[in-house]
Amino acid sequence: MIRLRQIWRSMPLRLAILLVALFAMASLLSLAASYAVTQASFEESIRADLQQDLAGFRAAPSARAVAQLVEAESRAADPGRLILSYIAPDGRIYGNGAIAQDEGGFHIFSLNPERAEFEGEYLSLTNALYGGVITIARSRAEIVALRGVFVNILLISLLPTVLIALSGGLILARRSKRHVELVERALDKMTSGDLGARVRTGPRWSDDLVRIGGKLNQMAVAQEAQMGALRDVTSDIAHDLRTPLQRVALYVQDLQDRVGDDPESAALTAKMQGEVEGMSHVFNALLQLARVEAGSPKARFETVDLCDVCRTLAEMFEDSATTSGHVLSLDVPAAPLCLHGDRALLGQLLSNLIENALRHTPAGTQITVSLDMQGPAPVLQVSDNGPGIPAEEHSKVLQRLYRLDRSRQTPGHGLGLSLVQAVAGLHGAEVTLQDNAPGLRVTLRFPAADG
Amino acid sequence: MKLLVVEDDATTGSYIARGLREEGHVVDLVTEGKGGLVAATSGGYDVIVLDRMLPEIDGLTVLKTLRGAGTLTPVLLLTALGDVEDRIEGLQAGADDYLAKPFAFGELSARVAALARRPQALEAETVLRAADLEMNLITRQVARGGVVIDLLPREFALLEHLLRRKGRVQTRTMLLENVWDIGFDPGTNVVETHVSRLRAKVDKPFSRELIETVRGAGYRIVA
Repeated sequence: MIRLRQIWRSMPLRLAILLVALFAMASLLSLAASYAVTQASFEESIRADLQQDLAGFRAAPSARAVAQLVEAESRAADPGRLILSYIAPDGRIYGNGAIAQDEGGFHIFSLNPERAEFEGEYLSLTNALYGGVITIARSRAEIVALRGVFVNILLISLLPTVLIALSGGLILARRSKRHVELVERALDKMTSGDLGARVRTGPRWSDDLVRIGGKLNQMAVAQEAQMGALRDVTSDIAHDLRTPLQRVALYVQDLQDRVGDDPESAALTAKMQGEVEGMSHVFNALLQLARVEAGSPKARFETVDLCDVCRTLAEMFEDSATTSGHVLSLDVPAAPLCLHGDRALLGQLLSNLIENALRHTPAGTQITVSLDMQGPAPVLQVSDNGPGIPAEEHSKVLQRLYRLDRSRQTPGHGLGLSLVQAVAGLHGAEVTLQDNAPGLRVTLRFPAADG
Repeated sequence: MKLLVVEDDATTGSYIARGLREEGHVVDLVTEGKGGLVAATSGGYDVIVLDRMLPEIDGLTVLKTLRGAGTLTPVLLLTALGDVEDRIEGLQAGADDYLAKPFAFGELSARVAALARRPQALEAETVLRAADLEMNLITRQVARGGVVIDLLPREFALLEHLLRRKGRVQTRTMLLENVWDIGFDPGTNVVETHVSRLRAKVDKPFSRELIETVRGAGYRIVA
């Protein structure tokens, strides 16, 4: 149904239909006009014949002669073509028919007992003659036949034209639909991160589509070059910074092995190692954020069970939560809730949300990870009953490196929620922060499955 | 074991080589891609540690060339980029494992050992054993010295993973990847917690400890 509607709404078909309608209207008008003219001239000639017939009867010298003439001629005439009737002054009726009138119009009756009434249409002329009334009627059969001829001409000339134009329009419409679909598919691929996708135009494509395809390809090439440059820069930076970081990590380890059992030195090297890990963590987060925001990892999407991700991550943090005096609870449906996405990134998203909640709320806070369907859309929520975030800060905390004044003293790098935002964006999910009265509730609404 | 390390950063390279030699391996160190490729194809190595970013010929190209030439030596790819996309690219190019910089030496060493003794195919074993510990994979029952031990599903998976790699160190990240199927480190002590729960059930009631902590590296089941 949808496909039919799409074809119906396509440009070439609409043009074809419009042209066919115009053409049909023009031929109808011209045929109607010639029909009217021909019909008029036919009637004219029948009337002329009638007048001539009448003139012939008038030439007879008396009523009696007229009656005889009518009798003689009506015997020779085919009543299907010519009907003659003369009502003599004495009331006697001569000829092969008589005209009567009732509420249904005029009727011609046969005077011959075999045929009660004549079929078909007649043109008649009635005149007074020698005290009687003469009626001459000639058949309109030729004019009626003319109508049939014109209808035939109409059918023979118009029907094939309409059919050919319509099917031509349909073929064009389907072809252009196919071409538009190819463009659409290429665009879909480009927007979902496959920057190598191109619109491949064919020799039978219409010029405007070829031009649009060409422009799209130019755009994709430019975008691909930019992405490549970005990748080069990030990998260069990564290399330049990681190599020294790697060396420091190895030196620290070496040092750790050498200091042996001196507790103060051991504590110092442990701190150094912690800092190295922290740096590498920020680094990873920045690199990953850049990649996710560029939208490139979408090619790796697979079917992911969100319930499973929630359970695994809740398990990850269960013990940390207990240690820090938090209560972490999980509220997910038993049946799998699948969507198309990146498991590792979704896990990281949830990890960041739980970590944030643990980090920014005091001991005793209840943290709930819940997942359910709201209509056709999977909704993931992480809520707590801690101090919350002022409403005016809600949009700011999603920005990169933004940290609330009061969290300056707590560990963290301000990238957690930015990654949440970026990963959600990659999955077409909407992130909202709400007051949980008290506390904070982060809601992720994923797009409806297969919608 | 005979190992090849291809790493352009001299400091990192020599540290890795030294550490691996201290563990008793024979190590050849090469600092650029072309030399690495020549050394790798000349063969005879048990494991190759390959840096992804090398001058002239980069690590990925070296790896693809090696695989194209039919060299099946296990390769551990080292990278400065640590994200999932990068990892998958590396594995697709033919790497057997992947390690992001900065890494601790213990992690590298454990992964090299895991690659060298990688099971050719998962044997169709139905019962895994270590000393008097028995794990039946069909009935999913675990018993030690005839005493049945009740394990939660995750504890079972963890023990199964360690038993299948008996004697080899499994690092935190290796366990996160394989037992929890998590490709990133959430920075929690979930591994430690599960190992200690597992110990409480499997080791504590018995005289001999089977699950061993290897300092600075990870855990293993004593062979």
